[in-house]
Amino acid sequence: MCGIVGYLDKCGNPDTPLGDILYRMLTTLSCRGPDSAGVAMFGNSQGDWILRIKLGEHGDFSEKGCAVAEGLRKLLAVREHRVEAEYLRAVVAPVSDVSDLIHKVEGLAQGLELVSAGTRLEIAKQVGSPENLEGSYHIRTFRGTHGIGHTRLSTESRIDLSHSQPFWARGLLDVATVHNGHITNYHKLRRQFEGRGVRFYTENDSEIIGLYLHDRISEGYSLEEALRASVDDFDGSFCYLAASSESLAFVKDSFALKPLMVADTSEFVAMATEEIALRATFPGDFQTFEPGTRQVYVWAAPQQVMETLDVPNS
Amino acid sequence: MSQTPEIRTGEVDAGGKSSQEINREIKELIAAGEKELRVFHTEAQHNLGVAILSPVSVTFDGSVGYYCGGLIDGPTIEVRGSAGWGLGESMLTGTIRVQGNVGNSCAASIRGGSVIVHGNAGARAGIGMKGGLLVIEGNSGYMTGFMMQKGAIIVCGNAGPALGDSMYEGAIFVAGEILDLGNDAVVQDIDDADKGFLREKLAPWRISHDRRFKKIVSGRRLWNFDKQDFDLWKEAL
Repeated sequence: MCGIVGYLDKCGNPDTPLGDILYRMLTTLSCRGPDSAGVAMFGNSQGDWILRIKLGEHGDFSEKGCAVAEGLRKLLAVREHRVEAEYLRAVVAPVSDVSDLIHKVEGLAQGLELVSAGTRLEIAKQVGSPENLEGSYHIRTFRGTHGIGHTRLSTESRIDLSHSQPFWARGLLDVATVHNGHITNYHKLRRQFEGRGVRFYTENDSEIIGLYLHDRISEGYSLEEALRASVDDFDGSFCYLAASSESLAFVKDSFALKPLMVADTSEFVAMATEEIALRATFPGDFQTFEPGTRQVYVWAAPQQVMETLDVPNS
Repeated sequence: MSQTPEIRTGEVDAGGKSSQEINREIKELIAAGEKELRVFHTEAQHNLGVAILSPVSVTFDGSVGYYCGGLIDGPTIEVRGSAGWGLGESMLTGTIRVQGNVGNSCAASIRGGSVIVHGNAGARAGIGMKGGLLVIEGNSGYMTGFMMQKGAIIVCGNAGPALGDSMYEGAIFVAGEILDLGNDAVVQDIDDADKGFLREKLAPWRISHDRRFKKIVSGRRLWNFDKQDFDLWKEAL
């Protein structure tokens, strides 16, 4: 039992109070998952890459953060950086090879983990309640077009920052997932992936979703094709949301064993494990529905934000 | 001229209250003699109106969460919105009517009474029904009537995959398309008695019965183990 939420503003208004919306939805679902809370949000792009680097599990990391930022400057052009609780957030000039970037960044010091990378994606997660998450990262002030969130009830793996969700589809810019359920063929899939040299950072079965999507997309699948293929490639009872800078999607297993309520209005799409999160967050009269078995739905994020910012940096 | 009995109306503002507080207020109003209750600002809270054991009328003016009207015996519940999982679970008698859509497992294990859904239903509608009636005016999802033992399900729209899987007894009527039948579910011709039954059960809700319904019942091949049916069992289990 976990709580997952998703939101997309259909007008693509970059000034949408996204952080506050996700926070309010997560708060109503915190009873479903008291172990950790997190969000993956899509803000406004300036063309540069935003890296969020985990400095450690718990404690004061301001000194370590500065040292890592210094190291980062030697690797690539850092536009700005700041230490936020356990994370170093850095805005850097784009590079060509993401896996090389992960390798180099995480080699800067012990215990580092690149939690998210992208032109718009920012992941913030924290052990404990959504209130804890807000206390550490002030997510409510974040503005953007769409995002996903998670409250976790740990069933089979450790409770710490790394094992929290959302997970970045590591290596794939601007793609993140949140998952409620169990991928029961996780160990089998993990062995296959590890055989091909993919590194796993956690024992959490949800981590494999993003890695799977990355794998399929590098084989030439579109995100939607990869999501559809996952319904057959994953076993178990699952419902997960995936978000990229261009889209927000849900995927349901073959048995509809995990709930998801969806409100698809003319202004927004909102999804949550329980309808209570939708009713507590959005006023007015709107219809909701529960998707059926094997359903995959992808909403395109309006692209005007991207278009205005697609001018190449000269 | 006969005297109209006095009907007192009771209202509950559910806004900002917990499920326990809302249900306690409902029970207190019933104990005080209220026969018609209206609950507003429901905001999809869970377990609303559970275990009401008297023939009162309760209207939820908005959407409700999980297990609304579970374990009831006698009341008439109306939901002017949608409902989450497990609507009316294990009810004995009474009526639950939902204007919108319902989540998974509506009317699970009901022993009697009626559940009327004017929208669509999610997966496993009427799972393990032991009596009573479930009417779905829209479409129903995966495994409708899974392991039902008694009673009737009427689907006026289309039915999802594995319809009537492993049902023991009872009947499912479907007016629209059936995506596929579940293990040991078979289609039977409907007779005049069935037509009369459909008319009787749908007319009160102003739902048209004048359609080509198909009737699905148990093939009874899973009732007793037979070596010759090994493949069927392998598939069903």
